[in-house]
Amino acid sequence: MAEKEIKIVSFLCNWCSYGAADLAGVSRLEYPADIRVVRIPCSGRMSPKFILSAFREGADAVWVSG
Amino acid sequence: MNTCTKRIREIASALLEKKEVEKVIGFATGTIPMASNPIVVTSKQDVEKLVFNSTCGLNLANYIRNHKGKIAVIAKGCDARNIVTHVIENQADREKLHIIGVPCSGMIDKNKVASLFKDDIVEFIEDGDTATIKSATKEETINKKDYLRHNCSLCTHKNPVIYDDLACDEGEEQSLEIPYPDVDAIQSLDANAKWQHFQELTKNCIRCYSCRNARPLCYCPTCFVDEAGPQWVGKGQDETDVNTFHFLRAFHCAGRCTDCGACVEACPMDINVRDFTRKLNKDSFELFGWEAGLDTTRRPPLDSYSPDDPNDFIK
Amino acid sequence: MGNLLEHMGIERDRVHFSWISSAEAIKFVDIVKEISEKVRALGPNTKLVKEYNE
Repeated sequence: MAEKEIKIVSFLCNWCSYGAADLAGVSRLEYPADIRVVRIPCSGRMSPKFILSAFREGADAVWVSG
Repeated sequence: MNTCTKRIREIASALLEKKEVEKVIGFATGTIPMASNPIVVTSKQDVEKLVFNSTCGLNLANYIRNHKGKIAVIAKGCDARNIVTHVIENQADREKLHIIGVPCSGMIDKNKVASLFKDDIVEFIEDGDTATIKSATKEETINKKDYLRHNCSLCTHKNPVIYDDLACDEGEEQSLEIPYPDVDAIQSLDANAKWQHFQELTKNCIRCYSCRNARPLCYCPTCFVDEAGPQWVGKGQDETDVNTFHFLRAFHCAGRCTDCGACVEACPMDINVRDFTRKLNKDSFELFGWEAGLDTTRRPPLDSYSPDDPNDFIK
Repeated sequence: MGNLLEHMGIERDRVHFSWISSAEAIKFVDIVKEISEKVRALGPNTKLVKEYNE
């Protein structure tokens, strides 16, 4: 692929989406390698600061998932 | 002296005499024309310093926190809404407040007036609906209505929502067909033009944090801009840092801002920082039917849950 | 949050929120694909990026 690599900073809840990501890995499902996962203890840990920080450090997109 | 000022002085001196309150927070004539200072009056002799006119653009709700005894505060429509917000957020005890409500007819836009003159203004005298302004070389009489601040010209809550005493008669509220024309104008732009708009807007920002300090909403013991570990935002005038500051500052006011205009009033660089908060005001009204500071019994939308909350943004 | 970012000129498709149970691996994969596609369409982000002096 000639496209430039993109980075999606993903904030995943330990108990929900992080588990889903784990299950996806165990089940050998394929998905795009654009995401960079940050595990948070709960979606309640999320703060607008995190989203802005991610953009400041050069993220192309941010994904928050509970 | 207008009747409003007179009434405020009467009420204040009665309260202080009866020792019902420890202090009265109000406005006093400032050292330069068209700028009223906040003042704390603790004795009857100083009551004469209190004034109320259309240069009292700051928000006195900012000064009602952390008092031991009972205090009296002078509140315009928007200040009263901020007091309600303080009561909701447990920053002030309604029992310990004596609110002297002042139905407000709008505040003068100092920059607009200053633009009429080439030199410094030396005198500003109000008379009912008009005002006479003098500089060293020129004298102008203006109709105050034409020189209102932008937020005052769009104000729909002139009369205080809560008060213990009222200093003058309530005025008629205006109703607006298009309450957020400025937000709509920005919204009609495409992404790059929007970005450009905000770059232009904040390019003069010197990060003095006047807007933060003038605003009654900002009472965090440590503001996120002062946090050092981790440091969320740099301290300099770097574009990204300025943008981050303004964005997050505005976001922290979501559903709480009463559009009192104190932030713009305080800005030494004349940046219309309301462009950020207005969007959030519009959103909280459209998504939650919420206007900040109207009711001490309702919880704000961002700290209450309802099954009807909009959730289209979640996949 | 997304709305204000959009207001400032950061495209809406750059911030995503979702709700996935730990049993929904398929949904996870679908959403990653969807987001990835949308962001690829937008291209790299240049706004609000802090440039550090070396």
